[in-house]
Amino acid sequence: MSTLIIIDQPPYGSWEGREALDMAFSLAAFDQPVSLLFCGAGVNWLRKGQDAEKLQQKSVERNLAAAPIFGVEALLADGNACHQYGLAETDLPDYVAITDFGLELTSRFDHVAFAG
Amino acid sequence: MITLKTLHILNKPPEHSRYRLCLSAIGPDDGLLLTENGVLAVTQLLEINSEQYFALRPDLEARGLLSHISRDQTVSFDGMVDLTASAENVISW
Repeated sequence: MSTLIIIDQPPYGSWEGREALDMAFSLAAFDQPVSLLFCGAGVNWLRKGQDAEKLQQKSVERNLAAAPIFGVEALLADGNACHQYGLAETDLPDYVAITDFGLELTSRFDHVAFAG
Repeated sequence: MITLKTLHILNKPPEHSRYRLCLSAIGPDDGLLLTENGVLAVTQLLEINSEQYFALRPDLEARGLLSHISRDQTVSFDGMVDLTASAENVISW
């Protein structure tokens, strides 16, 4: 059973995105196929150069870097949302692929769940 | 120190309905302080005089957005206190 977890909320403002990330990592750790999609303000998770030390948090950029190690199959970013937030393909980590968020994408997964 | 009529503190991202409401409520003698998810506004086209708005530096740093705004427009936590004290009133959106 393949799962797509969608994060549509920006980082640091709430814990819901991190909880969804933990869920994705748990699935991957138990060899369940899982991918992550960032859309809407969620694409701000992917921006390079984050430093959350003064917020006394670990940067989500570092959390996300562990995704390929856990075995998350794909990290996807909605192209329109990237454009809206001024993120070019070169601004994204190289393990992130740009896609279009829509039915064509979600129909490829048995289970789709939003963060929060 | 500058004196503001109303300081609008916005911590909502551009997709939130209160984000647009806040931006439409800013008067000519008001100031806007972006905090938390509100700092994502620096990635958008803002139709506000750049001398009128500020963003909290630790929140910009966390999100990798420091280069999106002039250094003069960033404030520390202490600066946020000063800004709040300089305003006649404050709206937290």
